Amino acid sequence: MVDGKSSAGAGGSLASNPPAVSVRGLWKVYGPNPLSIVGSPDAKLSRSELRAKTGCTAAVSDVSFDVAPGEVFVVMGLSGSGKSTLIRCLTRLVEPTAGEIFLDGEDISKATPQRLRELRRQHFSMVFQHFGLLPHRKVIDNIAYPLEINGMKKTERHARANEVIELVGLHGYAHAFPEQLSGGMQQRVGLARALAVDPQVLFLDEPFSALDPLIRRDMQQEIIRLHRELGKTMVFITHDLSEAVKVGDRIAIMRDGAVVQIGTPEELVANPIDDYVANFVRDIAKSHVLTLRYLARPAQPGDDIDGPELAANIIIRDAAEIILQTHKPVRVIENGKVLGIVSSEDVLRLISGVA
Amino acid sequence: MRHFKKSHLLIGVGLVWIAFSRIFQGDQTLELATSDNTAFTTSVGDVAASIRGNRTKSAAFIYFFNPIRAAINGFVEIIRSIISVPSGNSIIPVIGWFGVVAIVAFAVYATSKLRTALLAVSLLLACGALGMWQFTMDTLAMTLASVLLSLLFGIPLGIWAGLSDRVLKILTPFLDLAQILPTLVYLAPLALFFLIGTASATIATMVYSIPIAIRITAHAIRNLNQSPIEAALSMGSTPKQTLTKVQLPMAKQMIILGVNQTVMAALSFVVIAALIGAPGLGKPVVDALIIRNVGQGFVAGFAVVFVAILLDRSTSAAAKAQEGFIPMTSQQIQRGRIKRGLAGLAAIAAIFASRSVLSLAVWPGSINIAQQVEDVTNHVTKWVTTNLYIFTVGFKDFISNWVLNPIETLLAFSPWFVTLSAIVLIAAVIGGIRVAMLATGLLALIVLSGLWHEAMITLTQTIVATLLTMSIGIALGIWVGRSVRAERILRPFLDAGQTLPAFVYLIPMLGLFGPTRFTAIATGIVYSIPVVVKIVSEGIRAVPVAMIEAATVAGSTVRQIITKVQLPAAKKAILLATNQGMIFVLAVVVIGGFVGSGGLGYLVILGGSKPDLQGKGLVAGFAILLLGVTIDRIAQASARRT
Amino acid sequence: MIFSQRRRIATASIIAAGALVLAGCSSSVNDSAEGASAASECGTWAVAMHAWNGYTASAQVVAEVAKANGCTITQTTLEEAGVTYDAMEAGTIDLIIEDWGGGRWKEWVDRGSVVEVGDNGNIGLIGMYVPPWMAAKYPDILDSANLNKYADMFKTSDSGGKGAWYEGPPGYTTIGEKMISANKLNYKAISTGSEAALVDVLTKAEANKTPALAYFYTPGTLFIKIPGLEQSRVKFPANDWSDAAKASGLTDYPETALKKLASKKLMDSNSVFATIVKNFNWTNADQNSVSADIEGGMKPAEAANKWIAANPDKVKAWLGN
Ligand SMILES: Nc1ncnc2c1ncn2[C@@H]1O[C@H](COP(=O)(O)OP(=O)(O)OP(=O)(O)O)[C@@H](O)[C@H]1O
Ligand SMILES: [Mg+2]
Repeated sequence: MVDGKSSAGAGGSLASNPPAVSVRGLWKVYGPNPLSIVGSPDAKLSRSELRAKTGCTAAVSDVSFDVAPGEVFVVMGLSGSGKSTLIRCLTRLVEPTAGEIFLDGEDISKATPQRLRELRRQHFSMVFQHFGLLPHRKVIDNIAYPLEINGMKKTERHARANEVIELVGLHGYAHAFPEQLSGGMQQRVGLARALAVDPQVLFLDEPFSALDPLIRRDMQQEIIRLHRELGKTMVFITHDLSEAVKVGDRIAIMRDGAVVQIGTPEELVANPIDDYVANFVRDIAKSHVLTLRYLARPAQPGDDIDGPELAANIIIRDAAEIILQTHKPVRVIENGKVLGIVSSEDVLRLISGVA
Repeated sequence: MRHFKKSHLLIGVGLVWIAFSRIFQGDQTLELATSDNTAFTTSVGDVAASIRGNRTKSAAFIYFFNPIRAAINGFVEIIRSIISVPSGNSIIPVIGWFGVVAIVAFAVYATSKLRTALLAVSLLLACGALGMWQFTMDTLAMTLASVLLSLLFGIPLGIWAGLSDRVLKILTPFLDLAQILPTLVYLAPLALFFLIGTASATIATMVYSIPIAIRITAHAIRNLNQSPIEAALSMGSTPKQTLTKVQLPMAKQMIILGVNQTVMAALSFVVIAALIGAPGLGKPVVDALIIRNVGQGFVAGFAVVFVAILLDRSTSAAAKAQEGFIPMTSQQIQRGRIKRGLAGLAAIAAIFASRSVLSLAVWPGSINIAQQVEDVTNHVTKWVTTNLYIFTVGFKDFISNWVLNPIETLLAFSPWFVTLSAIVLIAAVIGGIRVAMLATGLLALIVLSGLWHEAMITLTQTIVATLLTMSIGIALGIWVGRSVRAERILRPFLDAGQTLPAFVYLIPMLGLFGPTRFTAIATGIVYSIPVVVKIVSEGIRAVPVAMIEAATVAGSTVRQIITKVQLPAAKKAILLATNQGMIFVLAVVVIGGFVGSGGLGYLVILGGSKPDLQGKGLVAGFAILLLGVTIDRIAQASARRT
Repeated sequence: MIFSQRRRIATASIIAAGALVLAGCSSSVNDSAEGASAASECGTWAVAMHAWNGYTASAQVVAEVAKANGCTITQTTLEEAGVTYDAMEAGTIDLIIEDWGGGRWKEWVDRGSVVEVGDNGNIGLIGMYVPPWMAAKYPDILDSANLNKYADMFKTSDSGGKGAWYEGPPGYTTIGEKMISANKLNYKAISTGSEAALVDVLTKAEANKTPALAYFYTPGTLFIKIPGLEQSRVKFPANDWSDAAKASGLTDYPETALKKLASKKLMDSNSVFATIVKNFNWTNADQNSVSADIEGGMKPAEAANKWIAANPDKVKAWLGN
């Protein structure tokens, strides 16, 4: 992580690679005559005002973003902020009220039912907040279900299902029924099922919420591995900030259906757009996400300015040891120029939360 | 505040009504002699006669009704010839009694467990011992045939209604209507087109039980946990795959429960369908009713009860076997398979035996306790009717003079427009303006039908029976709702009561009260109390414990808790129970035409017998329907508005 | 579980189906000698059973004679008239042995589904009866003109302030309401639902010395059980058939020759049973003797066979030899 993270920039897209997922002006309004809300002055109202006035709930309102191929895009927000609705819109489990959704450049909001099924079967898969396991099927047949509807033979699909069962650590439970498993185990079955078809894009709605910390760490590692080694693209919903930071390249913060801010963890911590975001990221250990660039300050009289040089994009946590061990402030270098200096007091102040 | 006003309004309407009724007593009551027709009933009669006249000529009969009749007859006869009636030149059915017992035992064992199978066997043997073997087999055959046909149509329609809102919307009014329509009303119109016999009986039974299959299947599909379905869709399942691989398996248990309900409905109807020639246990029941042999009625009634328990337990056990998904070890599976295989072989052996040993083919006449049961019952009945005559008749006279007659005077012997306005006003007060308008329309149709007076007689009996039912039912409901012990004591009776055909109750009541209106009312009460107790006790039990604890802590007495906490909180359940009770009561009061209760039910029965009154009978059936819908809508609106 | 469940049901149905196939093959009970050949000559016929004792007697005797001559007879209880005619049209009923209604079957006969076979020898007379104790105590009550004088005595909680007039059951031939209006009586016709109820009303009234006015009819054994009942028939003015206007107000029941009705299928069949039905004829006394036995607790079949054994000549005549 020393070299920081590739960033596609807030709301932007990489010019060279078409985005894996691209969302433009997406709305989902529940209630009578939903279309009339979109783009009307009412859309500016707060959720409760809108509800009182029109009886409608804007679960997702005017959301746009791009996800680069191979990126892990995290969505966070308070309960009810519209995360699940958003991710369902992306797979058209919920029909968006308005807006466009492109997957690999294909406008899936216009896809025919057949095309949509094809995409769902081969291109992406989804992990559900409430698991969505089939209660009448054993674990192995739950996991093999997407293969089964793809027409795969029984022995083949069971072989593949067994592979993913191993992967999520459910060895020995292939022939159990979902209701015999704990919540965490069920969640892993859901994850295994999503992985079984080896999709290019994964949509994960709080996939680890029911796991204990140990398993959760394993699963997070697995996600990171999939991302790193196989270059999977993911849209990942979580309530857990440290998880978001750990697995996410960028994070979108939602409030009342709208995206408030999108950025790398560092951007969010360093430049929260408003108090809501600031509050949201308050608990992130700053030293874990911020780079030296954030701490660099002009030298003041009395400072030693001949300390060692360090690159500006090194995360503070990783540089801390060096800084604390040298007795002089380090010099922060970017593009051959000195941005400023960082002293051990600066680091200690940040870590102790005074700054 | 609102409530206070409402009750005052109702009392006001009542007082004005009574005043008008006094003044105009006997005017414009639209009474019509039993044997007289109105222009309308005459013309309906003419239509019926021309339909009868066309039975051999018109294309509709030749290409539609008659082939259906033939096909259904054939289907039922095949099943009957297997278990019930001798086929061809043989003197026994394809499978003798021993074989049937073995098949039932095996089928129940294979779908649920040994204990249920043993219960099923003993119930079947009991039917045989009551001398009712062949009737029982006929009833089973009829029930099986109509259930199979009902499910054939009902489950696909139910699935469709479960998947499509449009279909559900189209079907709902029919399903609602079917729930209200008293059984007796189906018979005559069907007999007009399908004549008298097994086909009519089967079709009538289907008409009665299909709505239940549809309703429960649709409900099962609609109330599934949506997240597995959503997950299946997200993986690209086609609608068909979603249905067959996800929705149906998940809904299976509920659908089997629907099968159970369908079976019970079919059974109770098959008994009544004896009136239009259905073979089976209904025959001795009707016989007993007509020749008033209480003992014989009891013998047949017991057999009906046994068959009801048999079908109920085995189908609900099959539903229970679907509960939960606990895998068996392969050893267990293996062992289970061997056991079932052996049981199957034993069943086959038994079938062979039942075809080669006469005493296993035909129920041995020496095993027959019917006479003893009949004698005992007749003795008891005789003792009761001679010794308790004073009490039963005294009670009957008391209710007749002090409740029945005054209400009848008010409803049936006031001018029709006074009664009609009063009912509409009551509907307006408790149900609102829309219900009042609906009631006006429905009641006006009854007036136009020419059977207003008879309808009011039936309504009187319905109201009186409902009043009595509710006063007993609420008391029992509170008891059952508050006490686990009471629930344990009463539960079997309530369950049995709900599975028994209303017809069976008429017989002992007839013994007690003779051929009067009160017999019908008493039967209605006995028939509808179980459902009322069930709903009320559930309502009482649903009152949050916290509420009762709070009241107890505040120092309330038991009585105060009941009257001030539980009853008000369970008000909705009580209103719902009243609605259900009324519909149940209406269904029975109508059958009371057989035992001298008069009213619309009597006209329906009369119409079946007397060709010149057939039109009037059909119109009376329609009037019952109108009355039922009126009652239901007013009662429902009052439940909705609380 | 779901799999094993499915497999269970599958095994169950396979075994059941197999059993049926096997069952179809052979049976040693089936070709039981005596019945087989004779049954094919006479055939299987369905007799309607109506709900009064006299009918049971006649129908049972015919049935027993037929069975003794190789017929298979089923008996089905149905309400009178329309319902049963429809059943005959549907082919589920072949014989009504005693029908009281003058010609109400015409429409079915015209359609060719019902055949009027002729009189059965019984003469029916319906009437309104009071218990004998009343006839003794109030001799003038037997004249319908005096009924109104006594109306108050007949009031019950069900009769709406008028005298209670216990009418016959729905299927029976009843003109009570017409009689009441034609004779200007202050009575209310109350439907009773069954013969047994009528029997009950009259028996209880006689036993308890309570008043009652009820529908009854000959032939019937109640007259044996309640001595003097036959003489306690209220006399109404006879119908005036000469004047159409007056005839519409029926005042009393006429005597009726009771009829046999059969399905066309039966009468065209050349079966022994058709012969028996055609020739069946007996007197009110014959019927009464059988129904008295039935009422005395004998099973109908037993009572019928007792009469058959005692009257070989009559039976022989029915068989046409
Ligand atoms: N089918 C629906 N009909 C009406 N309103 C809905 C529906 N589905 C969701 N909503 C509303 O949309 C809003 C967003 O719901 P959503 O489930 O997307 O929230 P969420 O961010 O996923 O919350 P959580 O973190 O609790 O899962 C909520 O206010 C919810 O009430
Ligand atoms: Mg959510």
